[in-house]
Amino acid sequence: MASVTIEQVRKQYGAVPVIHGVSMDIEDGEFVTLVGPSGCGKSTLLRMLAGLEDITDGEIRIGGRLVNDVAPKERDIAMVFQSYALYPHMTVAENMGFALKLKGEGKAAIEKRVREAADILALGPLLDRLPKQLSGGQRQRVAMGRAIVRHPQVFLFDEPLSNLDAKLRVTMRAEIKDLHQRLKTTTVYVTHDQIEAMTMADRIVVMRGGNVEQIGKPLELYDRPANTFVATFIGSPAMNLFEGSVVNGEFATRNGASLPMPTRYQGAAAAVYGIRPEHLALADNGVPATVVVVEPTGSETHVRVKLGSAEANLVLRDRIDLKPGQQVHVAPDLAKLHLFCAQGTRVN
Amino acid sequence: MSDVALSATQMEVKRERSAIGSLRLMQTACILVIALVIVSPLFMLLVASLKDDRFQILADMGSFRAFWVSNPTLSNFAEVGNLSGELAYGRYLLNSLFILACTVGAGLIVNSMAGFVLAWGSLRGRALILSLVIALYVIPQESIIMPLVIMVSRAGLTDTFTVQIVPWVASPLYIFLFYQFFAQLPKELFEAAEVDGASVFRIYRSIFLPLSLPALATVSILMGIEAWNQYLWPILVTQTDYARPIAVAIATFFGQDSIYWDRAMAASVLMMLPILALYLAFQRWFVSSFVGSAVKG
Repeated sequence: MASVTIEQVRKQYGAVPVIHGVSMDIEDGEFVTLVGPSGCGKSTLLRMLAGLEDITDGEIRIGGRLVNDVAPKERDIAMVFQSYALYPHMTVAENMGFALKLKGEGKAAIEKRVREAADILALGPLLDRLPKQLSGGQRQRVAMGRAIVRHPQVFLFDEPLSNLDAKLRVTMRAEIKDLHQRLKTTTVYVTHDQIEAMTMADRIVVMRGGNVEQIGKPLELYDRPANTFVATFIGSPAMNLFEGSVVNGEFATRNGASLPMPTRYQGAAAAVYGIRPEHLALADNGVPATVVVVEPTGSETHVRVKLGSAEANLVLRDRIDLKPGQQVHVAPDLAKLHLFCAQGTRVN
Repeated sequence: MSDVALSATQMEVKRERSAIGSLRLMQTACILVIALVIVSPLFMLLVASLKDDRFQILADMGSFRAFWVSNPTLSNFAEVGNLSGELAYGRYLLNSLFILACTVGAGLIVNSMAGFVLAWGSLRGRALILSLVIALYVIPQESIIMPLVIMVSRAGLTDTFTVQIVPWVASPLYIFLFYQFFAQLPKELFEAAEVDGASVFRIYRSIFLPLSLPALATVSILMGIEAWNQYLWPILVTQTDYARPIAVAIATFFGQDSIYWDRAMAASVLMMLPILALYLAFQRWFVSSFVGSAVKG
């Protein structure tokens, strides 16, 4: 196990910059998720950590050791790839033991460590199979087995669940989290799925356009997003955002709706009014709205309404019988209000 | 009413099935004719090699008797299968086999390594080198053969096995074939092995080479046929029986006053067998490599 320090790391492909001076500290044994939309630089950053990409500028330290020019094999890291990258001609046991064989470990030692890893991941009966004889979830576990068998200082995961179906993704998510809790190895996990990031990480790093937008614990990011990008990226359905301004103690949206404001924020330079779907409720004394779509999920009901000309999402815990076109009144929970300035930065 | 409609539909299905059946029959007939045209000269060769009268072979050639032998004998094979003496075709066959094994063995290593480095190596000017390799392919062998002969004779390599092996080991075609095969393998395999601690050579040897069986089979067969059928080059660089291959030796049957068709046919069958065995051994991968290159995006 080791800490990871990334200091002012930049990456350019020719004249095109893709990472613009990213810094972060990952503590020993921590599970950190890099999350962001496609092209935000999260995988590039992970590959720079692994040594698979050169660093244009800045420093990366693993366990206090500067590794900028250290080859991947000497960084004491293990990586799980999106496509698993299992060696097709080797059995599960050979795949898992390959790194140890390269290290010059004895046959008995390799067998012992492979067996240990196989026991942790319930791969025992599959050790003699070839990757093509395994299901997606089993291949994923073998890829993890190949990583843990080496007892590395840091695990790197590059969108490892994106090739699995939704149900298996949930199972594997729990398995990876459980594995981390047992091994306590420092883990950097890349995903574009914010649910994965929220459920697995000790801390989340939200990235956009090669920059870090916010670093924090999952619920910190959910409850206090630093800007409108994080506010909409974290949480599903996304936070409702209304552009407008504070007029006469209320927030007048550009779309013609008037939303209530707590008195303490009435002087704030708020240009964007944000409220999460579960913090909007039906209330007789609320803002008039028209139901557009009703989506019952069983445990909750998702309702899309029109507030003025803008649309907003509500997540209701109750099973309420609503029809499209029906007139309702919605009220925000003012204690859970998010206000942002015109540049998108949080003001409350 | 619905019964009538149903029977009309059934009739239409029957008609369609019968049309498909006739089409398949015609296709099978065409395939059989093509197969016969291809196989018949080989069959005639085999039949002629089992006849002991060279004049009879010549007389039979214009008729269907060329495909039939009433008293088959292996005497021709016994005559030409010697390892020494005037008809040491066994020796020439061994020479050819040695040249084939060395050329194919060394060729697989050299060409696959070059293809791997061009596909995955971190060397500058990789694209330029690849373009040069492809450009080399368009230069016909015949246009460089005389300068090559002068070169090897100045180097004192004439009448050796080396001179028949070394010039044909590296080939732009096979380098490109390997390059194409390696380049289509996923980058993650290379990177996973790199993270696992493998050197570039180890990645080539332990990961990429075992995965390239179809390419290895294809190159083995193509290279084997090429090495086996070499005729012009060995004629120019061999003067004695020491390193003479069977293809050149067979030609001597036709350069004398009388043509010994029986021995020539038996020697030809001997010459054909190893390459046929090579093809049969690698056929599965050979076919899969062509199918693979057709369906992979």
